[in-house]
Amino acid sequence: MKLHKARSFFAGLVGLLVPTIFSFGLALEVPPLRGRINDYASMIQPDKARELESRLSDFERDTGHQVAVLTIPSLKGDALEDFSIRVAENWKIGQKGFDNGAILLVAQKEHKLRIEVGYGLEGVLPDAIANRIINEIIVPRFRENDYSGGIEAGIESIFKITRGEALPNSSQDKTRIKGNRPAAGLFIFAALIALIVGISRRTPLGGAFGGAISAGAIGIGGALTSGPGLWIAVSLAGAIVGALANFSAAAVWGNPRSVKGSRRERWPRDVLTGGAFIDGSGSGGSYGGDFGSGGFSDGGGFSGGGGDFGGGGASGGW
Amino acid sequence: MRGLTLRSYQLLAIGLGTLIILSGCGYNKLQGLDEDVKAAWGEVQNQYQRRADLVPNLVATVKGAAQFEQQTLQQVIEARAQATSIKLDANALSNPETFKKFEDAQRQLSGALSRLLVVVEKYPDLKANANYRDLQAQLEGTENRIAVARKRYVESVAEYNKAVRYFPTNLTANYILGLKARESFSAEETATKPPQVKF
Repeated sequence: MKLHKARSFFAGLVGLLVPTIFSFGLALEVPPLRGRINDYASMIQPDKARELESRLSDFERDTGHQVAVLTIPSLKGDALEDFSIRVAENWKIGQKGFDNGAILLVAQKEHKLRIEVGYGLEGVLPDAIANRIINEIIVPRFRENDYSGGIEAGIESIFKITRGEALPNSSQDKTRIKGNRPAAGLFIFAALIALIVGISRRTPLGGAFGGAISAGAIGIGGALTSGPGLWIAVSLAGAIVGALANFSAAAVWGNPRSVKGSRRERWPRDVLTGGAFIDGSGSGGSYGGDFGSGGFSDGGGFSGGGGDFGGGGASGGW
Repeated sequence: MRGLTLRSYQLLAIGLGTLIILSGCGYNKLQGLDEDVKAAWGEVQNQYQRRADLVPNLVATVKGAAQFEQQTLQQVIEARAQATSIKLDANALSNPETFKKFEDAQRQLSGALSRLLVVVEKYPDLKANANYRDLQAQLEGTENRIAVARKRYVESVAEYNKAVRYFPTNLTANYILGLKARESFSAEETATKPPQVKF
C-alpha cells in the first residue's frame, strides 16, 4: 500500500515535470547576444559582418538607438512573431526608458524575416515603414541570394528612417546614466555605506576594509537579484570610492593615527592607484551594461540597454 | 544594566515581528501586483483601440475598389461599433460576464477583419495599392501587439490571482484591500496566432 502510494506520488511528479520539459522543448531557445550582428545562420560574409558591426556601433554613438541583427538556421516550428518577441524581451535592445531598439530577425530555412521595433521607435519606424523596408528593400536582394546585401540595405534604411527625427540622445551622457539607473543608484548607495562604515572605523585601513566589505555585501545582494557581472563591478567601485572618501575624510578632519609620520607617506600612493583604477576600468565596470561607448571595439561588451518591446514591427518572407 | 539589555531585546523582537508580519501578509506585494495587472490591462485596451482606429481607414480604402462585397464591409463596420462600445475598467475585470462580453466583441471584430482580408485577395488592384498595403501592415502589426499585450496580461493576472488566493496573502487581499481574483483570457485563445493576414 505504501509502495503504491509512493509510486503514484512519483507518477504524479513525473506527470507534472514532463509537460514542463516538453514545453521547454517546444519553444525555440533565444540564442545569447554575441554582439550587434548575431549571425547564427552564417548568412553574412565575415568581413561584411565586421563592417556592419562597427557601423551599428557608430549609429548608436550618434543617435543612441540600438539595432541588432539575428539570423537563425531554423525556427524549428516556432511562430516567427512569438520567437521574435521572446528575443526582444530577452535581449532588451534599446535604452531603458527610451525603448529605442530594433531587431532584424531572419529565419533561414523558413525564408521568413521580421523587424521588431521597440516602443520608442514605433513613431519613426511604424509598421508600414518596416513592412516596406522588408518587402521593397530586403526581400528583392534575398531573392537573389544576396543575404549580406539585403541585411546591409535593410540596416541602412533603418538608419535613414530613424535619423529623420530628433532623438532622445543628442547628449549621450544623459541617456547613459538613465539607461543604467539602478546601477548608478546602487553605486552611490554602496559608496555611501562604505563611507559611513569607513568613518566609523576611524582608521584608514579599517576604513578601507570596512568600506570594501560593506559595499561588497551590497554587491552580492545585487548579484543575487540580478546578473552578477555588473553588480560585482559596481560594488568594487563602490568600495574603492568608499575607501577613498574615507582617506580624504581622515586627511581633512585629521585622524591621529593616520597622520602619523611614515604612514602618511605610504597612503597617498595607494589612494592614487585606487583612483587610477576607478578612472580606468571602474567607469567601464559601473556602466558595464553600456555598449560601444565610442572607443570600444565593435562587438566586445555589447548588451541590451533595457529597452522594452510591445510587438510592433512587420514580418515578411522571400 | 540588565534590565536595559532585556528591554532592547524585547524591542528588537517586536521590531522583527512587525517586519515579518508586514512582509508576510503581502500588503505591498498585492498592491504592486494589482498595479501590474492594471497596467497590463491598459495596454490590452490600448491595442484593441488602436485596431479599432485603423478600421475606418481600411474600410474607406477598400470601398474605393469597384463592386466590393458590401456585406463583408458592413460586418466589419458593425463589429467595430460593437467592440468600441464595450469598455472595461480594470476594476470590472473580476466580473466574468462583462469580461466575456468584451472578449466576444473583440473576437467578432477579429473574425470580420480576417474575412475582409481574405476577400481582398480577389482584387489584385487593391492588393497592389500602396495605401492598402500600408494599412494591412499596420493591421498586422496591431494584431501582433494585441497578442503580446494579451500574453502579458495573462501572465500578470496569473501572478496576481495566485497572491489573492493563496494563504496568507488571501487574508490581506480579502479583508484589508478588498481585492478579488480577476478574469483572464482563455489559454487556447492566447495560444492561437493572431488572425493570419498574410498571403
